[in-house]
Amino acid sequence: MSGSREVRDVFIVSNSTDELGGVTGWTHRTARLLSERGHRVHVVGIHASALKMALPEPLGHPVTALYPAHPPTPWAPEGAWDRLRVAARRREAARVAEKRRAVARLSELFRTARTGGVVIVSQVWAMEWVGEADTSGLRVIGMSHESYDYSRASHRYRWIKDHYANLDRWLVLTEEDADLWAGDGMDNVGFMPNALAALPDVPSPRREKAVASIGRLTDQKGVDMLLDTWALVAPERPDWRLDVYGAGEDEADLRARCTDLGLDGSVRWRGRTDDVPGALAASSVFVQSSRGEGFPLALLEAMASGVPCAAFDCAPGVREIVRDGEDGLLAPAGDIVALADRLLRLTGNPRMRDAMGDRARTAVQRFSEAEIMDRWEDLFAFLER
Amino acid sequence: MSTPDVSCVITAGAGGEAALRESVESVLDQSLRAVEALVVLPADGDAALRAAAGALAGRSGGRVRVLTAEAPAGAVAVLRNTGLDAAAGTYVLVLDDGELLRRHACRNLWEAGTRTGADLVAGRWSRLTGDGAKEQEPHWQHALFARSRAVERFTQAPGLAVHDALVTGFCLRREALEQHGLRYDEDLTHSGILFGALAAAVVGRIALVRRRIVTRRALPDGGRDLAGLVEAHRRVGHVLVAQGPDGLCEERDRAFLRDHLVPLVRSFVLRPAAERDRITATAARVLPGCVTEDALLTLPPVERVGVRLLERGDPDGVLTAAYAMRRRGTVAAPLTLGGDGRVYWGSGDDPVLDVTALGHQHRTFGELRLMNRVTRYEADGGRVLLAGRLVLPGHTGPEPDAPLTAHLEFRVRDGSRAFRFPVDELRRDTTGVAWRTRVHLTRGLRPFGVRDTVWDARMVLEDGRTRSVTDLFAAHDLVGPADRSPALPRLGRTAGDIWQPYVTLKDHLALRLDARGRPARTARRLVHYATHFRPARRVRLLLRALRTRRDRLHARGFKARVYDSWLLRLPVRKGAVVFESHMGRCYGDSPRAVYEEVRRRGLPLRCVWSYESSPAGFPPGARLVRRWSWRYLWALARAEFWVDNQGFPQQLRKPSGTTYLQTWHGSAYKRMGFDETRVRMQNAPQRERLQRAVHRFDHFLVRSEHDVRTLARAYRLPEEALLRTGYPRNDALVAARARDEAEGRFPRPSLAAELGLPDHREVVLYAPTFRAGGGRRRRRPLLLDAARFAERFGDRYTLLVRAHYLEAASLPVCPPGTVVDVSGHHDVSELLALADILVTDYSSIMFDYALLDRPVVLFAPDLDAYAAERGSYFDLREKAPGPVVGTEDELFAVLDRPKAADAGFRERRAAFAEEFGGYDRGDAARAVVDTVFARHIVPARRARTGEAGR
Repeated sequence: MSGSREVRDVFIVSNSTDELGGVTGWTHRTARLLSERGHRVHVVGIHASALKMALPEPLGHPVTALYPAHPPTPWAPEGAWDRLRVAARRREAARVAEKRRAVARLSELFRTARTGGVVIVSQVWAMEWVGEADTSGLRVIGMSHESYDYSRASHRYRWIKDHYANLDRWLVLTEEDADLWAGDGMDNVGFMPNALAALPDVPSPRREKAVASIGRLTDQKGVDMLLDTWALVAPERPDWRLDVYGAGEDEADLRARCTDLGLDGSVRWRGRTDDVPGALAASSVFVQSSRGEGFPLALLEAMASGVPCAAFDCAPGVREIVRDGEDGLLAPAGDIVALADRLLRLTGNPRMRDAMGDRARTAVQRFSEAEIMDRWEDLFAFLER
Repeated sequence: MSTPDVSCVITAGAGGEAALRESVESVLDQSLRAVEALVVLPADGDAALRAAAGALAGRSGGRVRVLTAEAPAGAVAVLRNTGLDAAAGTYVLVLDDGELLRRHACRNLWEAGTRTGADLVAGRWSRLTGDGAKEQEPHWQHALFARSRAVERFTQAPGLAVHDALVTGFCLRREALEQHGLRYDEDLTHSGILFGALAAAVVGRIALVRRRIVTRRALPDGGRDLAGLVEAHRRVGHVLVAQGPDGLCEERDRAFLRDHLVPLVRSFVLRPAAERDRITATAARVLPGCVTEDALLTLPPVERVGVRLLERGDPDGVLTAAYAMRRRGTVAAPLTLGGDGRVYWGSGDDPVLDVTALGHQHRTFGELRLMNRVTRYEADGGRVLLAGRLVLPGHTGPEPDAPLTAHLEFRVRDGSRAFRFPVDELRRDTTGVAWRTRVHLTRGLRPFGVRDTVWDARMVLEDGRTRSVTDLFAAHDLVGPADRSPALPRLGRTAGDIWQPYVTLKDHLALRLDARGRPARTARRLVHYATHFRPARRVRLLLRALRTRRDRLHARGFKARVYDSWLLRLPVRKGAVVFESHMGRCYGDSPRAVYEEVRRRGLPLRCVWSYESSPAGFPPGARLVRRWSWRYLWALARAEFWVDNQGFPQQLRKPSGTTYLQTWHGSAYKRMGFDETRVRMQNAPQRERLQRAVHRFDHFLVRSEHDVRTLARAYRLPEEALLRTGYPRNDALVAARARDEAEGRFPRPSLAAELGLPDHREVVLYAPTFRAGGGRRRRRPLLLDAARFAERFGDRYTLLVRAHYLEAASLPVCPPGTVVDVSGHHDVSELLALADILVTDYSSIMFDYALLDRPVVLFAPDLDAYAAERGSYFDLREKAPGPVVGTEDELFAVLDRPKAADAGFRERRAAFAEEFGGYDRGDAARAVVDTVFARHIVPARRARTGEAGR
């Protein structure tokens, strides 16, 4: 498929231009990478956000927000009395007019594109605007950055079914998720993994007797289960330490639980870190005990540093990154005994740790930025066939 | 256009121009644009077809090419080969006429092919169902395409060749096509079946994509060209023998039986007589030797009988088997008893015709459903001559010398009214009863004319003592429009003026009141208008909306809200107790034991029991409320005590002044509560809900320190909530053991007589645990084959089967008295006290049964998988109170010599009972009542009965 590398106009449309979150990071990184390949990238957010993410300056690509703040949600009158409320009706009319202006602005942006242009809708909510805009002559690619099960349990399932069914192509993170969606009647689904940000020049020396966990301290990341697991591991490995990097709303509870379990001596709360490779360089094993994941970057980064992983097999994305027994060890989701067993195996066997770490560092390069960008360009060409 | 990515070869066939046009348009509508369509027509074909193809080519801008080939009529293979020769695309795909490509089909195939470098890319397809209104995928496709993947050889996805998976919905790389010289066999009518399998066998890598590629494939009609179908199957078999591993050919034989021959037999009911004769004649010629005896024996009994009779060329026999397939459990043909106790269909002892497994031999006349076929229906004005034949199995029938009487019964569809007609002639012979009668429909069958227009026929046969009710089956070509009779409804002939006989979808005879004359037709139309015009529709919609509103008032969400905001404000009523056992499913377990203790001591408590669906089995004197009814919520909101063994609804908060006694329902082997993987993976709100529900418990009964370590920890119960008394339900077991030791096992408890258990047979209780998955109350086959058990041990043991309270067992038919389903029995302790041997797997019943000190066998075929999946608190093999067996044969070996097997386990059993039931000392009910109801215990002399003071 390679060979047809023409320069394209690419629009990436997300919910927000600068909201704190994974997809915003993905948006600007992909925009940068596509610009580096010579494409003319324009990032469009439906709105600018109050809680801003720290973005590098200058961005190198134009950014447009259609609304200065989150647009109001549509009004649905409840009962006959509600229908008579004039103020609500006025607000609704204003919202509709504002939306029409936003769509017109989006159409205008799209019209500047030359032939071969592409619109990437990174979150399904943005389709409310893109779907109404004039996209003639452009290829529209939808995306969903979460696993099928996660979407299925949320209102986004309906949105995806409604908005993505008629697109040329839309993408999920793994082939397994794509199959699940295809089994659900969505024939136009493909898959595209996230790219690994950077490969550290030197892998972790794997000399410290430390297990690292990196992630927000929220319920989804399952650090409570990690503590239960560590309670099983610590007595067997008294010289090992668990480093928990990250901060979040559950921190106080988790620290209390750690004390209850009597793990204060072997668990170190490291707080939020910006130097992930540095943190990984000071550890020999990485552990992830999440309740739900999409395509976890933390695993990718750990593997890129040559640190072997033990993780709950909680989503297709995890299975896609870690090949169990080869470059990491997986445990059935929620089974702390099994996860403890994986950790004991990794901490007890330096030779296996080294072999798996080295294999992981090599294997994870199939998600390197160059590889993924090639796949994107192939996809653009494929959609023109 | 440069080289197209995909060439689609479309041959025109029986569908005509419309089908051809739709197929070609589905190709032109592909999202992948570099696709060409090659339409191949026979040279001497229809001019209209050629014109249609020409028009399509003209409009398509060069994307449609029309080719012609010299082909004899019906030789689709020649046309397809012509198309393959002319194809220019990287991939080639062949479509039958009428089949449609899905919009993204080519894009998905091409993408998978290019990404994996496969020579063959296959996807899913669906075909029309019986009446052509809906579509369905073949049942095996789901497993074959569970995941998208690429395989190096077809043997890694054997389903591709075992089933006819590659008849459509796949494409081939043209280079591979040429390299292997793949073409359709021109002497074969079903050449597609062979082509797909052959291609899969010879090409290199194969990609499977879990996307639907083709829809609207025609349903294969095995009857049209059976000889060709069998020949194609035979040739695929040769390919598999040459290319595939051992066993693949046999697997294909089995699939051929299930996918082609069994549906063919089933379809006999719907075919006219001439066609049935033609098909069986062909079958007798081509089928013998086509599938092996071994493959045939893998089919269920009735299916293999049907195929065997088809093979023998017996049209009437096949039809009978087809009826038996469509009406499970009906005796459709006479049965003979072989010398070895086996039961055979018809006559003869062909092992294929062995239908012992159906269990008909264990039922008698009156219990059996018998096939009654109408052979004549002749209408002559209002009088109708009906004749038919009722089949009797060899072993049972009406009393030989009693006078037989019978009557025909026409019942209105809702069953509310029936009209009877005596049967004039009954002639009994060795294999059945032939009957004949004349009925005056017009005079004898008088409907109102409105809402009672469909009447089903059945026959009741009586021999003075027993009666047997049979539906009247009829061939679908037995009656037609000419067989109508005049009708005389009570509302007059405008309500309907003829009786039209017809055969229902379930193959039995029925009468319909129809309108034929002008007044009746006009009246019908008026009535239809009155009930369907716009105001009437609006009224209907309004009624439905009102019904929805009303239903919402009965919904649990609404009730829980009312409970929370209003009922909880009610004052607590002193001495009121609500009992519930297993969410209201039974009157048993520890709540029952506590209740009985309360009654025995005459405590002044107002006891209410909750039941789920039926109050049957609850004590007549108790106050009963249905679970989730308003009275239930009222009782809960006002109760001073809640007593339960599993959990009152999680949504309901406990009133502030109420004491909750949670007796729990068993010690734990598998992980429970927050130790359970499933619970741990739930999100925070869900886990909090569980924790809140558990925090309602004020008292929690434990049987041993094991419970404290497992259950109490898993549910995070505080130490002060634990009552170390043992389970009240087990008091009976401790007492039973004391009685065993003092007086021996006999006489058995009165329950034995109720269940009809003879003293000379020992009682084996089989009580497997609940297997998660599927909905509640799903019937599922047992892991233990009860029929085999009955055959082997019928004279030594009686098997009691107790399914878990969450599910129902589905038992095969066994000789009377050998297997008894006791799932519906309310009190497990009574059953345990009755059993001489317990067979279970991971059920907590084993902990209780150990108190009796009687033999236990743990039949756990899936022990390792279960322990790995659910997690366990200890190693069952290490601590088991009896032998742990993995297969049925091992289990039978143990049951064969129970004494010998039990010898080594006496001490372990004692240790087991001590470890898991140390606190069960036989006085749990008293101790619990003393603790929990302490403030209601009155001095003995002033005690009143529990029911007093209402």
